Amino acid sequence: MDYSRPHLADLLAADYVAGTLRGPARRRFESLLPAHPVLRAAVNDWQARLIPLTGSLAPQKPPAAVWQRIEARIGGAAAKAPDAAAKAGWWERLALWRGIAGVASAAALSLAVLVSSPGPAQAPLVVVLSATGETANGSIAPATFVASVSADGRAMVTKPVTPVSVQADKSLELWAVPAKGAPRSLGLISSSGTTVVKRGKVLQDTAAFAVTLEPPGGSPTGAPTGPALWVGKLQI
Amino acid sequence: MPAPQPSQDWSDRSRQLSQLLSRAGLGDRAAFATLYELTSSHLFAVVLRICRDRAQAEDILQEVYVNVWRSAGGFDAAQSQPLTWLTSIARNRAIDGLRRAQTQPQLQSATTDNDEDPDVYDTTADDQPGPLDLLSRASDARALSHCMQDLSAPQRQSLALAFYDGLSHAEVADKMGEPLGTVKSWVRRALLSLKSCLENAARRDAGARG
Repeated sequence: MDYSRPHLADLLAADYVAGTLRGPARRRFESLLPAHPVLRAAVNDWQARLIPLTGSLAPQKPPAAVWQRIEARIGGAAAKAPDAAAKAGWWERLALWRGIAGVASAAALSLAVLVSSPGPAQAPLVVVLSATGETANGSIAPATFVASVSADGRAMVTKPVTPVSVQADKSLELWAVPAKGAPRSLGLISSSGTTVVKRGKVLQDTAAFAVTLEPPGGSPTGAPTGPALWVGKLQI
Repeated sequence: MPAPQPSQDWSDRSRQLSQLLSRAGLGDRAAFATLYELTSSHLFAVVLRICRDRAQAEDILQEVYVNVWRSAGGFDAAQSQPLTWLTSIARNRAIDGLRRAQTQPQLQSATTDNDEDPDVYDTTADDQPGPLDLLSRASDARALSHCMQDLSAPQRQSLALAFYDGLSHAEVADKMGEPLGTVKSWVRRALLSLKSCLENAARRDAGARG
């Protein structure tokens, strides 16, 4: 079957979302989704149409044991809200922007250009840093940064997909953001070309990379002071 | 515990849920806990409606949220409403669960042999709204309400049985006592009619705003 035919894709997606696509056909359809943008778009559209129908179901509170089992599986007790609210740092705010703005991220990226693979050993890790939507006085175009980290985590190369214009009196600073705790500076990066960052253990405890706008020479405090303009989560 | 309301909250809460998902995607457990509090009752209702076995529904809900925790960073607010995204994950797991339950030996069910229990829907209908009630409630959402009226009664019923209760075409045909081919075409026409009606409504909205 030719899944790229829009009409067929649409009918299959409708069946899939309605739940009537079953058995091997359902599994085959799911396995095709990652590689077929037409199918994915059709599924998204049908979900938007049909899933609101579930709004009429009366809520059913699950037993507390379910959450306890989830907590156990995602590792560590989740500190309940208060502490986090007090510590709300810029990376939480940037997550917020990301959520609202939906990230004007460049959809199609040619990563191959950047990834000059270091020998036949392990492939480097590529992270796409998407614009948060924060524009820093309108001076920054919503481009995308790509970062490539060597497999041993000791070197990293960053490059904007398209050159980024930054005010003359500002610098871009790269940060490794851990799941918990303060971001670590990885140094300044170029807004127009390639920057090679050599730091030990770039990947250690790192959950995401972020780029902030800082005074020339970088943050004076060692912690981010300006808005985070790009962020990319590490997917290992 | 704030409970999802049928219509207006659907969009009102999207923004908050998007933020929580983004934070969870960056490893923020507190945000994830809040997300669970706000959404688990809705997702549990969806799963329970489809798989009906409470213990299995709880297992599925657990899988769903572990999965959400791992893939929260992949949520794209430009592509989906957060509750739509979460509910879709839950529905897919629940439907997969049906398949597994059918291929595994029944441990608790009272049904015998390979006989599909014809009353699986009726037995729970007393204290639960039927699929058609659910459709009309969901129809509070304005465009959907208008579009539901365009469906014929059998189209509505077959769609409701498939969508809410997770019945296959064959199971819907059994329940309605109609031929499989007829039911298939009812469901398909219902879906296509909804699609074109909702698209027209969206165009009218856009026209009214522009």
